[in-house]
Amino acid sequence: MKSRHSKWLSMPFLAWSILFILIPLFMIFYYGFVDKSGQFTTENILSIMKPEHLKALGLSILLSMIATIICLILAYPLSMILSRLGVNQNSFIVLIFILPMWMNFLLRTLAWQTLLEKTGVINSILSFLHLPALNIINTPYAIILGMVYNFLPFMVLPIYNSLIKLDKDVINAARDLGANGVQTFIKVIFPLTLPGVISGITMVFIPALTTFVISNLLGGSKILLIGNVIEQEFTHASNWNLGSGLSLIMMIFIIISMGASTIFDKNGEAGLI
Amino acid sequence: MANKLIDLLGITKSYNNNIVLDDFNLYIRENEFLTLLGPSGCGKTTTLRIIGGFEQPDSGKVMLDGRDITNVPPNKRQLNTVFQKYALFTHMTIAENIAFGLKLKNKSKTYIDDKIKYALKLVNLDGYGNRKPDSLSGGQQQRIAIARAIVNEPKILLLDEPLGALDLKLRQDMQYELIRLKNELGITFIYVTHDQEEALTMSDTIVVMNQGYIQQIGTPEDIYNEPQNAFVADFIGDSNLIDAVMIEDRLVSFLNAKWNCVDENFGVNKPVDVVIRPEDVVLCKPEDGTISGEVTHVIFKGVHYEMEVMAGNFEWLVHSTLMHPVGEKVGITVDPFNIQIMNKPESEDEEVAYIEE
Amino acid sequence: MKRFLERFYIAIIFIFLYAPIVMLMVLSFNNSRTRAKWGGFTTGWYRALFQNQAIMEALYNTLFIAIVSSVIATIIGTITCIALSNMKSHSRTVLLGINNIPMLNADIVTGISLMLLFISFGFRFGMHTILLAHITFNIPYVILNVMPKFRQLNPNTYEAALDLGASPVYAFFKVIFPDILPGILSGFLMAFTMSLDDFVITHFTKGAGVDTLSTKIYTEVRKGIKPEMYALSTIIFATVFVLLLFINLAPAKKEKQIISKEKRHTLPQKAVAFAVISILVISTLIYSNLSKDKEGGQVIVYNWGEYLDPEALKIFQEETGIEVIYDEYETNENMYPKIESGAAEYDIVCPSDYMIQKMIEKDLLAQIDFSNIPNIKNIDSNYMEQSKEFDPDNKYSVPYCVGTVGILYNKSMVTESIDSWDVLWDKQYADNILMQDSVRDAFMVALKKLGYSMNSTNEKELEEAKEALIEQKPLTQAYVVDQVRDKMIGNEAAIGVIYSGEAIYSQRENENLEYVIPKEGTNVWIDSWCILKNAPNKENAEKFINFLCRPDIALMNFEYITYSTPNAEARKLIEDEDIRNSQIAFPDLSQYNNLETYQYLGEDADYIYNELWKEIKSK
Repeated sequence: MKSRHSKWLSMPFLAWSILFILIPLFMIFYYGFVDKSGQFTTENILSIMKPEHLKALGLSILLSMIATIICLILAYPLSMILSRLGVNQNSFIVLIFILPMWMNFLLRTLAWQTLLEKTGVINSILSFLHLPALNIINTPYAIILGMVYNFLPFMVLPIYNSLIKLDKDVINAARDLGANGVQTFIKVIFPLTLPGVISGITMVFIPALTTFVISNLLGGSKILLIGNVIEQEFTHASNWNLGSGLSLIMMIFIIISMGASTIFDKNGEAGLI
Repeated sequence: MANKLIDLLGITKSYNNNIVLDDFNLYIRENEFLTLLGPSGCGKTTTLRIIGGFEQPDSGKVMLDGRDITNVPPNKRQLNTVFQKYALFTHMTIAENIAFGLKLKNKSKTYIDDKIKYALKLVNLDGYGNRKPDSLSGGQQQRIAIARAIVNEPKILLLDEPLGALDLKLRQDMQYELIRLKNELGITFIYVTHDQEEALTMSDTIVVMNQGYIQQIGTPEDIYNEPQNAFVADFIGDSNLIDAVMIEDRLVSFLNAKWNCVDENFGVNKPVDVVIRPEDVVLCKPEDGTISGEVTHVIFKGVHYEMEVMAGNFEWLVHSTLMHPVGEKVGITVDPFNIQIMNKPESEDEEVAYIEE
Repeated sequence: MKRFLERFYIAIIFIFLYAPIVMLMVLSFNNSRTRAKWGGFTTGWYRALFQNQAIMEALYNTLFIAIVSSVIATIIGTITCIALSNMKSHSRTVLLGINNIPMLNADIVTGISLMLLFISFGFRFGMHTILLAHITFNIPYVILNVMPKFRQLNPNTYEAALDLGASPVYAFFKVIFPDILPGILSGFLMAFTMSLDDFVITHFTKGAGVDTLSTKIYTEVRKGIKPEMYALSTIIFATVFVLLLFINLAPAKKEKQIISKEKRHTLPQKAVAFAVISILVISTLIYSNLSKDKEGGQVIVYNWGEYLDPEALKIFQEETGIEVIYDEYETNENMYPKIESGAAEYDIVCPSDYMIQKMIEKDLLAQIDFSNIPNIKNIDSNYMEQSKEFDPDNKYSVPYCVGTVGILYNKSMVTESIDSWDVLWDKQYADNILMQDSVRDAFMVALKKLGYSMNSTNEKELEEAKEALIEQKPLTQAYVVDQVRDKMIGNEAAIGVIYSGEAIYSQRENENLEYVIPKEGTNVWIDSWCILKNAPNKENAEKFINFLCRPDIALMNFEYITYSTPNAEARKLIEDEDIRNSQIAFPDLSQYNNLETYQYLGEDADYIYNELWKEIKSK
């Protein structure tokens, strides 16, 4: 549909984006580069080099990378099984994964606390079965579990969507040309679903990298992630400049991910739905 | 053209209680161009996919060169397939696509490069090696799909409606191309199509299928000239299909007239179907015809005129180079040799098949 | 076999996804206020839920915001997609890039950036700021869902419609719209879900008296989640689940009977449209009803979460005709920037000791006219005296809740008797110790143990305290705020640092628990009511404070929050003798040495504390 007026239709979005996306981002930028008295400084940015910030960032990257990899390993076979279930199940499967979000995120994460505690539900079951107890609450493992739990749907959905879009005959063609199951997967299926995988990785890695709620509730606040540092600066320490400076550092990772997903997914097709 | 290369023995296949193939038997000889022809849903693609190994039959055996390959996965079968929608690997270049099968066989780089060059030349796409499939037209993609299959030197090439997505002119060109390829390579082609013209043009043998049953096997000439039942007659080319009674050998009665024919051994006073090709209907003066009627429609078709004649309460389709204007009274005669007598369908399935067509 | 493995794998994943949800559902039937203990089956929370006005209001707000923001986002998003589908690929890439920002950006950054925007442009925080924020992060989800549908469109159909004489608008609605409708609906659904589930962004952009379920839950986290919340979540979840089953299974069955395609499509769409409109109307009605002005004017209260009996508010409104607009915060530090920026107007807040001092220094508080608060006489003079540590002339604050910080221990796990902070460094209790997750409280413990003042700014002393806390960290099971209570009740840990008010409650639920004030001294904390300098309703605020100092009301609040009241007259009214004479609730302060109250140490000292705290946390 070509229309001369259609350009004007983008105006509401453009205005909205400038007002509520770009200007606020600029404000973070501004705060990040000034000190409390409004003087220009790079100190807030450079404070990332402080050992405790660096360690928090490193730990965040490590934990969210592990969580992302686990999500990928869990989600890919799951999506493959689901994608074979048939087309009319399509929207139902998507909804099954979105459905948990209707239970509040904080409550869901708190529920994991109840499940994982030393005297929690899982350990009660384990001790009933005379199995060794699972002591992961308040450790990085619990944080990883929380990340995987909360962000798994964001990995499953894009991969599932790129799998159901895959022409079955392309897979048959690879088999036909002599590739066994593993070779077909490595050489054909995986590369063709790469946009979905990249999109999934971005959508898991970024929120995992920046979370502060999960590390607080499941890590017993003993483990400081970069999200916790930023949250602390903004809320408890009231140091917005430092918080903004660190947010800017985090944004570098976000920009990298955005770049990656645009390169691999030129048409923006590997979405959630 | 001697030994059976592929032998399908008693293949049965159903999806969700829907029987697609029922006790299906067919053999294919070496170096044959065999076409499975039929309307959609007749089981022709399923047959091809069972040969290719993409589907497992519920029962029955697939023999290749006397070996049972029913449970051999597709990657271990010495056959290659050209898929309907090309199924090229869009994340690879043309050359990588063609090299795919060869690399899996650990062929040397020089061998692969030579093969790519040879294959591209064979399908008239020299120098396209470094392009991506997306940048090619449909016809070009189709030829790459063929090139990708044949570099593996399969014993048999399976083609699943490979020209279905191309436009008419390109389709005709590709038909000649395929015949040429077949002759140059000297391998067996199994070709699936619903286009009777394609089938008649290219095949050595045509298998007409409907509702999971073989209706007729034969050369294109056999199929066209001597259809064995109403379905085949109707599906292959235009025809006049008329209810008739075989009075005795060489004499048949239909549309309230008696006609001489050449068929024998149908019995006495036996109901049969009669098929007469439109080009075999001869228009003459009303008084000279076996029956007479009136021209109701005329269309110019280039090579001939297509006319409809209402005679004996039946609308005859007539092809003739001579034009008879609408409203003209004409008589109809048919050379006894051109009256094809067929048994009425016996089994219920055949009946159903006929009605649905 | 393979099939079985696949089924098994799916089952495992689904158990993983739905286990916490089942957990919450079970908790909603738990006849105990803490999630750590199973107190038998009850449906009481469901009944209580509908009488809990605060939760119902939060529910209305949540739905209202979710619906309005996703409707607006859907409209803007769809219009944008029309524009995008006609754009040159270059400008489209730019716009889609911008569109990706809120989705990929960390929630916390988005929330904060919007907060900064609203503050600098002088927006008053309220429902509308949440709405603006939610629309902002909802638009991308709509565009993401609608855009692919535009790509699948056959461009000729629109032209065909124009060719047949349709106007562009008519053609759009008749030809394009039905094709992209599934995308719009799923975009709307996605936006709605995201809005419903959001906490972080709402947290930073909400204003006085506007709570969504998420922010309500977060404030409740401090004092333990109310079981009504589990009940509500269960209801929401079950409703959605049934709705989805209905929508998904109904057409699947009918498909076999080959009903007309059109009918199949309109059924859920009509239902969705109807549901949306009706919820919209209902929420608007309720919302307008809620914000109706009452005759006697209003007073805007900013209080800790769960820190006042809602019944008391009702009584106040009935007696005076003054409408109370009530808002909650989780920590002093959360409250402070909102007050300081002036972004939200409040009359009256309830900060803690050191924060009051800071606010006095920053000139944010108004002097209280005590002639308007005759009930001040009910307040124990000891606490008025103790208040002088942060409010030297007793001019700015009226004590509301008081308490000590001490050690709560489980007698079944700790056999010795405890009287010192040193026990927190005792290796035999490794992984059985709960510490407070706040800078000052953590340092207080260490400083007191070392024999220093808990208001120390001496760098050497702080450094020593830091080392002590680092040494202690491996022994600590977790740093928590509110959950000390639940975890101690559930026998999760042997020893916890806890506020005395929580200790009383804990003992009631688990009789093995014992509370002590360590001999090295501790923090006596006081939360007091203060009136803000720019309070629009100063007179009403004083009436409100006076009301809270009434013995019956003070008693009511004491029973609701279980934190000790400094109101001596109220204490006399307590019927239960054990509680009235409880040494935990009403300790004789003169018995203890080295009791202190927090003071505001200044920005530089705050900075040092925070940096040291981060060092400890990152070890």
